[in-house]
Amino acid sequence: MILANLYNKVLGFFRQTEKEAEESSKDTARNRLRVVLMQDRTNLTPELMERMRRELVELLSKYVEMDKEALELNLEQDGDQVALMLSIPVIRAKDEEEIKAALEAEDEKEEESSEEENDEETKDNPEDDENLDSDEDSDKDEEGEDDSEEEIEKSDETKESGNN
Amino acid sequence: MSGRVIVITSGKGGVGKTTTNANIGTALAKAGKKVVMIDTDLGLRNLDLLLGLENRIVYTIVDVVEERCKLKQALVKDKKNPNLCLLAAAQTRDKSAVTEEQLKDICEKLKKDFDFILVDCPAGIEQGFQNAVAGASEAIVVTTPEMSAVRDADRIIGLLEAKEEIKSYKLLINRVRPNLIKSNDMMSVDDVVEILSADLIGIIPEDTGIITSTNKGEPIVNDEKSLAGKAYNNVARRIIGEDVPFLNLEEPQGVIAKIKKFFSGLKGKEK
Repeated sequence: MILANLYNKVLGFFRQTEKEAEESSKDTARNRLRVVLMQDRTNLTPELMERMRRELVELLSKYVEMDKEALELNLEQDGDQVALMLSIPVIRAKDEEEIKAALEAEDEKEEESSEEENDEETKDNPEDDENLDSDEDSDKDEEGEDDSEEEIEKSDETKESGNN
Repeated sequence: MSGRVIVITSGKGGVGKTTTNANIGTALAKAGKKVVMIDTDLGLRNLDLLLGLENRIVYTIVDVVEERCKLKQALVKDKKNPNLCLLAAAQTRDKSAVTEEQLKDICEKLKKDFDFILVDCPAGIEQGFQNAVAGASEAIVVTTPEMSAVRDADRIIGLLEAKEEIKSYKLLINRVRPNLIKSNDMMSVDDVVEILSADLIGIIPEDTGIITSTNKGEPIVNDEKSLAGKAYNNVARRIIGEDVPFLNLEEPQGVIAKIKKFFSGLKGKEK
């Protein structure tokens, strides 16, 4: 009995390691390919995804308190459809006053267009422009370019206001 | 007669476009169809080699376009099958020697005399690809179960979908290695089909016979025993409209594999 048990355990161990090794190569290929194709199809580079993630964190923080580092943003494919999957670990819901305060703070920000934020944007711009320029032409891309143009306009404004 | 113009393309080089072209063309001709193959890979022609016709070429597609000969004069007849013709690419010119309009025009003219016009497309997505696709209404996208080939096939499918003239495209998965798939070291046919979400027209196993058949200038569909040859013949039958099941490549072949299978069966019982 003991021997038989031992035999099974040893056999099981080898089967397991075998299986683990087997799964890796093909599944790695498939998963890497899925990610890269999603980027190819949408023209969303990892940098743009990270930017989107940051902007979403900023936006959602006004309404809920969440684990900012754990927010996950992924493109997933289900058949022909591509979906943007967002997973947000909420720590707690903010109460009315906090939300109000956050929104008011933002309104003020918009009016003043604080210099700090705009400095950041000017820093971001050259990078993103490069990314967009290197991509092939597509509808999505054009949208992206529109975005960056808007940002350039914004940053131009800041430069002007800075000069003034 | 109004022939079907099918472009055979892949994006990535070296996945077997030209081999696929030579074999499907030969198989269609053997099935009694009148077939002409156009090599549009100007400057890098190879279809003539695979068919063993390299010494018979007098005029090329560039001679036709530049009106040094009639279209019919430039068609090279196959050694064995009078139903099969080749319009060769020029080896000394580049992709700009023929335009999209000129290729469209050639395809239109050939449609009247042939059942099938197979266009061999160069690798890449530049002008050579645009030219090759110009006259076609159907496409076969050749890929292999490798990441780079699948990625490029996805790009090509995107470009084909944007072309109004292309009414349908089918996927052909080449160089499938059942042993590697079995040991999970290669993406399976299902994986590739799922990732690209395209209809399948053929699964061709990796076959060393392809190398020897290229050496001889004799397409492998002429070899009755070859599994790849059978698979290509099946592709041709599917193109004609027959309902042919895909070959079962997973089934072990040969004595050693059978013995292995027997022992793995015993192991299973021990459990």
